[in-house]
Amino acid sequence: MSNNEYVVQMKGITKVYPNGVAANQGVDFNVKKGEIHALMGENGAGKSTLMKMLFGLEQPTEGEIIINGEKVSLSSPMVAISKGIGMVHQHFMLVPSLTVAENMVLGMEPKKGMFIDYKKAVEITEEYAKKYNLHVDANAKIIDIPVGMKQKVEILKALVRGAKILILDEPTAVLTTQETAELFKELINLKEQGYTIIFISHKLKEIKQITDRLTIMRGGKSMGVYETADISEQGISRLMVGRDVILTVEKEKAQPTDVVLKVRDLEYTDSWNRKMLDKLSFSVRKGEILGIAGVEGNGQRELVEMLFNLNVPDAGTVTVNGQNILGVPQRKIREMGVSLIPEDRMVYGIASSGTIEENLMSDRFDKKKYNKGMLFDMNAMHEESDRLIDDYLVLCKSRKQEVGMLSGGNIQKVVVAREFSSDPILIIADQPTRGIDVGATEFIRKKLVELSREGAAVLLVSADLNEVMELSDSLVVFYNGKIAAYFEDTSMLNDEIMGEYMLGLKKQTEEEVRRVCHE
Amino acid sequence: MNNRRMLMFEIIRGAAAILVALIVAMIFIFICSDQPFEALRYMLVSPLVSNGSISMNSIYTIFAAMTPIIFTGLGVCVMFSSNQFNLGGEGCVMLGGFIAALVGIYCSTGTYLDMVIAVLIASIVCAVVLYIPAVLKVKLGASEMVSSLMINYIIMYVVLHFLNNVFADGSKGSVQTFPFAETARIPQLVAGGSKLTWGFILALIFTVLVALFMYRTRWGYSIRMIGINQNFAKYSGMKVGAVIILSQIIGGFLSGMGGALEVLGRYEVFLWRDLPGYGWTGVTVAILAKNNPIFIPIAAFFISYLNRGCTLMATYSDVPAEMVDIIQAVIFLFFAAEKFLAKYRQKLVVAGAKEELSQKNAAAAEGGQK
Repeated sequence: MSNNEYVVQMKGITKVYPNGVAANQGVDFNVKKGEIHALMGENGAGKSTLMKMLFGLEQPTEGEIIINGEKVSLSSPMVAISKGIGMVHQHFMLVPSLTVAENMVLGMEPKKGMFIDYKKAVEITEEYAKKYNLHVDANAKIIDIPVGMKQKVEILKALVRGAKILILDEPTAVLTTQETAELFKELINLKEQGYTIIFISHKLKEIKQITDRLTIMRGGKSMGVYETADISEQGISRLMVGRDVILTVEKEKAQPTDVVLKVRDLEYTDSWNRKMLDKLSFSVRKGEILGIAGVEGNGQRELVEMLFNLNVPDAGTVTVNGQNILGVPQRKIREMGVSLIPEDRMVYGIASSGTIEENLMSDRFDKKKYNKGMLFDMNAMHEESDRLIDDYLVLCKSRKQEVGMLSGGNIQKVVVAREFSSDPILIIADQPTRGIDVGATEFIRKKLVELSREGAAVLLVSADLNEVMELSDSLVVFYNGKIAAYFEDTSMLNDEIMGEYMLGLKKQTEEEVRRVCHE
Repeated sequence: MNNRRMLMFEIIRGAAAILVALIVAMIFIFICSDQPFEALRYMLVSPLVSNGSISMNSIYTIFAAMTPIIFTGLGVCVMFSSNQFNLGGEGCVMLGGFIAALVGIYCSTGTYLDMVIAVLIASIVCAVVLYIPAVLKVKLGASEMVSSLMINYIIMYVVLHFLNNVFADGSKGSVQTFPFAETARIPQLVAGGSKLTWGFILALIFTVLVALFMYRTRWGYSIRMIGINQNFAKYSGMKVGAVIILSQIIGGFLSGMGGALEVLGRYEVFLWRDLPGYGWTGVTVAILAKNNPIFIPIAAFFISYLNRGCTLMATYSDVPAEMVDIIQAVIFLFFAAEKFLAKYRQKLVVAGAKEELSQKNAAAAEGGQK
């Protein structure tokens, strides 16, 4: 086999992080020139680590990297870029207040005397956009353009910097169905022009659709390289998790009863003067899961913040079982039986250098049960945390382990264990399975259905279209801070219909939407 | 990860920091002394040994010096744990000493309750004083570091004003108060000139109490969680503002108590004309102890030992006493530097991870054979 066939060869890569996590153990990873190569695996499987090393963000503890037949030491992204490697991160690295053209030339600005030659920057942008058929508006500010275009800007940015090998980290996670289809067309176009693309994803269907070969990782090791055409979706999922994952959630039909959460005419304008919530009204009933679908940034985050007093609305009312919860301290909200799985577990969900036990106790440490006079009843605490660790299958050495040392999925299980075990009457689950492995995802989804069938009201906010459609009994679509559509029954829905409402192409009438208030 | 391995690492790191600091100190000693080995002996050995035998008196002197800095160290420990860089402990030591002196002079009941009352009142006043930067931070968002630092000087000049103009004993040549009542003085623990009082025992008791408070009570738990992640604490339903204030009140209380015990134990009159420095040392001690109350006495011992050694060195050799500041600064530097020996740590971590993996693989292989 000639070496020239491969543009990227990573041999025997081992990476141990300072916290002792061996994220990669002797991984071999090869990419042929001009292919779209998928890198697959659960979260914590070591994909991101491997790619970070290829992009020079991390250095391998052992092993070597060969680019175009030349052994290299990628000590920083600058070096990686100079070797023709570009990376599009999952979270875009763009300056929101600058225009597309300015972002494009950031750090390599064309100069005219002392000043930046803005006209030249626009020219460069338009030239590349045309060449690669990636249409962007060079003069628009990043803050004003849709997610799909931001992604194109990121890809163009890499190309302008001379990238021949593109790493895309879960590029479709933030896109609608239509935008995804567009992206795929563009990627195939790039492939035809001789570019090599490494595509990180968990989404089996997409992988089957677009890639030529794939490498599957599990537990920091490579599980092998396959021709995409030769392996089935079930085969991939088996290799990823080592067992057959049930891709659909089985649930009985919901029998919703009384309204628990009642949101009426909620309004909020943010500090950039954007109307994030516009006379928003809906209700969630006992025993049902109401899903909120929508492209991120259409008011979902703001709504959740309001519901847990992390932000204050301009107008409107929110009640739980008839009692107001707006502006009420979190302690009171929790006492009323409201639980929240926060969108970003590292910001709100955990204290990362605290132990698992300390993190499990944070909402109940002052309960009588865990205190003996002035002091904690340590036995009661140990018992409760061991019970939760067992019940929620948190993989750890002991309750004393630092929670920040766990993998994303296990951290989320700690959060979920705490939030689900307080006998909640209302659960707000904001992106409950974002960025975690298939096993943990399945577990959390099952629990959520279980609790709703036992009588909790569940409000599910998720950017994962499959998740909201699978889990929700009924569903609303957010668009521009308003409800664009309400579907009482989710079984008839498909991606196509959802996409149209999510992108604002279609809209239900006021009367149709009003049904979600159950009045 | 292997916790014992990491504990070992921290100990090695601490020892290495001290070693490097001592080497730096030695360089200075060699530069400025004609008899460097003699000077070194005074610094390192003499605090424990005099005339060829272990000197208990010298050890008691070290213990006595530890007393106030254990208190300030504990105070800083509680405040820093909630992520509040309140530096008001220094002023509280002076204020605590002054208030305790006044109570001991003017409110004497003639019973041994005097000292209890004096120490308690002093501590409470200091707790109230540190309420100010705490509440400014919580209500107005004013940096507690700046306001507490300024409060030290306000305290100092207010105390000096009252000492000079109101409470001075006019019959004495220097500015000082009248002597405290006999019953307000903290009794000596051992006879002799070491001035080791029951305050030392109290300091050790408070170490245990503070450790229990931090790790075994809902308030200590809240303080630590807020220190790690304030968003998390708020979302979990903790009263963040109140707990932040509480931690600083406790810090003031402990520092004030340290000052009161120091003044009532070592002196007969109040005569401090400047900030005594125990508060600053308390910060060093807390950092050396990594904000863990249990390690505070060990760190305090180390600092006091070093101070004593430097005093002896300055007295009996030709090296200036300022040397101690240089050594302290260097140690501080190496301790605070997170990345000091980071490569060695990484090696340990990698070794640990590999060991674990091979164990796991071995276990799996065994399981497979069965």
